[in-house]
Amino acid sequence: MSFVVVSDVSKAYGAVGSGAETRVLKGVSLEVREGEFVALMGPSGSGKSTLLTVLGAMNRPTAGRLVVDGIDVYALSEERRADFRREYLGFVFQQHHLMPFLNALENVSLPLAILPLSAREKRERARSALAKVGLADKAARLPSQLSGGEQGRLAIARAIVNGPPLLLADEPTGTLDTRTGDEVMRVFRDLNRAGQTVFMVTHNPSNAALAHRVLYIVDGRLAPDPHAADPAEGLCLPTAGLAQ
Amino acid sequence: MRISTIALANLRRRKGKAAFLVAGISIGIATAVALLTLSETIRDEVGLQLDQFGANIVVVPRSNSLALDYGGVTVSGVSFDVAQLSDEDARRVRDIPYRSRLAVVAPKLLGAVEVEGRQVLLAGVDFEEELKLKRWWRLVGERPRGETDLLVGYEAARALSLVEHAMGDRSVPVVPTLAQTAEMKGHAHQSMDGHFRVVRDRLTVAGREYRVAGVLTPTGGREDEMMFGRLDGVQAHLGKPGQLSLVEVSALCQDCPVEDIVAQINQQLPNARVSAVQQAVRARTETVERLTRFALAVSGVVLLIGALMIFTTMSGAVVERTKEIGVLRAIGFRRAHIIKGLMLEVLLVSTAGGLLGWAAGLLASRALLPYFSQTGAGLEVDPALAALSVLTALAVGAAGSIYPALRASRLDPSEAVRYV
Repeated sequence: MSFVVVSDVSKAYGAVGSGAETRVLKGVSLEVREGEFVALMGPSGSGKSTLLTVLGAMNRPTAGRLVVDGIDVYALSEERRADFRREYLGFVFQQHHLMPFLNALENVSLPLAILPLSAREKRERARSALAKVGLADKAARLPSQLSGGEQGRLAIARAIVNGPPLLLADEPTGTLDTRTGDEVMRVFRDLNRAGQTVFMVTHNPSNAALAHRVLYIVDGRLAPDPHAADPAEGLCLPTAGLAQ
Repeated sequence: MRISTIALANLRRRKGKAAFLVAGISIGIATAVALLTLSETIRDEVGLQLDQFGANIVVVPRSNSLALDYGGVTVSGVSFDVAQLSDEDARRVRDIPYRSRLAVVAPKLLGAVEVEGRQVLLAGVDFEEELKLKRWWRLVGERPRGETDLLVGYEAARALSLVEHAMGDRSVPVVPTLAQTAEMKGHAHQSMDGHFRVVRDRLTVAGREYRVAGVLTPTGGREDEMMFGRLDGVQAHLGKPGQLSLVEVSALCQDCPVEDIVAQINQQLPNARVSAVQQAVRARTETVERLTRFALAVSGVVLLIGALMIFTTMSGAVVERTKEIGVLRAIGFRRAHIIKGLMLEVLLVSTAGGLLGWAAGLLASRALLPYFSQTGAGLEVDPALAALSVLTALAVGAAGSIYPALRASRLDPSEAVRYV
């Protein structure tokens, strides 16, 4: 059974029917199974990031439904959706969006700040998340004292500290060079191997190659793999498999 | 990691802005504290002076048969043998529970006497008390001392040819008050070379010779047509030893209603009619309230400016922190969590500003007090004022930041995280 079900989702900005309306998503449907690693590719302005924010319970679609673990996400109130994000989702942003005034441990602890846990438990969870991304020894460093790759891994640690069932990533290596980008992608691969469901937007085919399945979006619609011999194979189908 | 940790870290990160906010709130609170403290001190002083400036309570015998006007106050039964007051009654007035509030208790005996073929109202008074009560009196001559010394009102003196105008000018110069004259003693006459002078200092009143110690400059009041002598002397002269016509009382009504003092005197003197001079009480209350209203209005304006400053700074901070707030919303912070975090920052800043402002206001009041107060009364460190300062600072901080905080909580996280 699919963990995430996106049904005929459309998203338009601007007043509908005003002529100034911009339709970014046009009837997108897809499913993601638990433990799956899905990559979403597409040209700039194709609707990748919009689809990711819809999946992230942050951007109410104009039409269609998002169901995660049986929950109709956009039927929830705004505050309940905030709770949903906290319980179900982990975000890794392209710019990482780390708090520059908090050290690595504090940055990772941010999602725990509003949980009714003891300070000790919060600390242990944050340290464990840092260890998972290989930053256990950098807990006291400020983001500015970390390399680009380390910042990317720190952003992943923050995203997984709550143990969310679904990890969403928006071009996590977009600002990194190839070597540090690979460093970050290895973390995604390892997490997925450990059972983490990952949905990642990327421009980078090598990153996408790590996914079980690659989706292509063009002009707001899911499209066949432009590189596939049989275009029908590229649509919402598993790719050849995880890269080693 | 708690929301407060984030708030503290944010304040540490923006030390300059936090210091600016603390300074803004401090200045507002300091101004309000200084104004209110000074106005309270001045108000107490003005109140005290107004309390001492004339009587605000009059005690007369309980008799409504006839009345005689005295100093704008209707005094009943003063020249008839009804139940008179006595010296003992004046002493009992001084024994009421609120006796510490009594600034002046001035007993009087009034009687009409014939002076050189004219009927003149003679008042026996305790000059010590009377001079405290009638601070506006000024005289030419000296303060009466002996049993046969008289103080004569200006119109009475003129009618009895006791005074003469210099160079035909009838205007009256500014001359020292009675209290000042008393201090001048022997130099009094040299100082009184204004526009009228006393030309005769002997007067026969109902066959008894008196010395005219001084003549009051015109007051426009009933005393212009009266003569004043020492109480015991007048009592003996009128054949009413130990008797009184009325007792004028000046009560300090700062923290107690004059009605309470009236009630207590009434209890002590069941046979007397005690009434508050409502006009005096009302004038005092209005003057004092006007001072307070002025201080409150200025403080209000200053604090409003403080709130606007916080509003501007916090609005700027929200714009500056759009990305940060968006991230927090994206990772599951509720709107209430965002508001809590921002308000916590303002709360910390406001508390610091309130305490600093209170201390600065107190110091400013101490420095400025000598310029505003004649008595230079000391200022007390009032914990209630400190608490009020902090509470006001918190209210100002909350008023200035609630809208920016609400706006921050409504930020669309999907837009906010795109913001660079």
